Amino acid sequence: MATRTQFENSNEIGVFSKLTNSYCMVAVGGSENFYSAFEAEIGDVIPLIHTTIAGSRIIGRMSAGNRRGLLVPSQTTDQELMHLRNSLPDQIKIQRVEERLSALGNVICCNDYVALVHPDIERETEEIIADVLGVEVFRQTIAGVALVGAYCSLSNQGGLVHSQTPVQDQEELSSLLQVPLVAGTVNRGSSVIGGGMVVNDWLAVTGLDTTAPELSVIESIFRLQDAQPDAINNSLRDTLIETYS
Amino acid sequence: MRIYHCHFCSSPVYPGHGIMFVRNDAKEFRFCRSKCHKAFKHRRNPRKLKWTKAFRKSAGKELTVDSTLTFASKRNIPVRYDRNLVNTTLNAMERIEAIRAKREKAFYKNRMKGNKERQLALDKKLVQDNPELLRMREVEIAKKLTKKQAKLEKINDDDDDDQAQAQAQAQSDDQFEISDIESDDEDMESMESESDDQEQQITKVKQKILLKNRRSKKKFQI
Repeated sequence: MATRTQFENSNEIGVFSKLTNSYCMVAVGGSENFYSAFEAEIGDVIPLIHTTIAGSRIIGRMSAGNRRGLLVPSQTTDQELMHLRNSLPDQIKIQRVEERLSALGNVICCNDYVALVHPDIERETEEIIADVLGVEVFRQTIAGVALVGAYCSLSNQGGLVHSQTPVQDQEELSSLLQVPLVAGTVNRGSSVIGGGMVVNDWLAVTGLDTTAPELSVIESIFRLQDAQPDAINNSLRDTLIETYS
Repeated sequence: MRIYHCHFCSSPVYPGHGIMFVRNDAKEFRFCRSKCHKAFKHRRNPRKLKWTKAFRKSAGKELTVDSTLTFASKRNIPVRYDRNLVNTTLNAMERIEAIRAKREKAFYKNRMKGNKERQLALDKKLVQDNPELLRMREVEIAKKLTKKQAKLEKINDDDDDDQAQAQAQAQSDDQFEISDIESDDEDMESMESESDDQEQQITKVKQKILLKNRRSKKKFQI
């Protein structure tokens, strides 16, 4: 299921929230509409946590996580770390990372099995990522941009990458990640996929500006409505061509 | 609120105190006061300044490797809140602090062990090498004695007679001279001039004797 919502008149949902298969974090101080967009979908199944990270609300960009763990930057205060630990289920590992590139959400893009990271990330951080998130780590760029987390959205079913990623790169990444990838946009043409949406294996939340074709691409590549990724090449293709022509 | 440690001197920095410098590689440096901040800006090495903890640790003046010191460190992996755990932690903190204090005391004692003997040996060697140092004490005692006698003399003089004005004047002059000699002990030239004066003033016998005593002692000393 893919839904559209807004955080304080901003479409950048991926900035103000973090969604994984086992938990969901949202920034504090948003409207009830924003929270209910999540609550309506995840209900009691996935815990929803209201938090700040390093005193800021851009939690989606500051943190990186998946089903197994959560990484927060070194600026995270002790109180926030304590709050996260007390709110998240016990089996989820939480660790604070001493990394120079502290916007972990921008430099790490991961699902439950693989992670793409910024090429300049420290070796220790790479080890921590592999350890805490239980993933294979690859240093990569997407469409020549180093901020992989910002320009890519990944779930266990598929991935959406920067709209200007060459097909060759897409294939390469796809074989690396072992999931189908597609280049696309969110929020009416924004290439900042990671910042514009959040996704897990059952739910995607995008900005309110997202167009219907964008949403249908998202639904199909992330298999949110039992759609096959091949659908893009077949049935959806005609719709897309019709819309963008 | 976290109580940070000064980057330079390692003293605690409480909220609202000190200053923080963030380098362009995002590393934070907190300073407890302008003294530390300035020293940092002058690129002083905290290990080379005696007032910092870094110096004391690197110079082996404080406990560095100890299990009690490992408890106070920043932890990146949080633990879930547990009332019992918190309780035991709070109790343990006191106990650990007590143990740490004890170990530090023992360390200090161990560090200072044998200092007395070493100092005594040094002193002995010093005296052996410079035997005149001991006589210094004798000279001082003698000096004190003469001073006392001179004072006594003066009082006596004031008491028993009303001598001529000139004589009294001379006497007072003499007193000044004595005090002069006392003040500059080592000055040989002044001493010689004073000895000339002394020959001129034969009348005051007592004073002269005193002075002579003093002079003889001085020569001995030199």
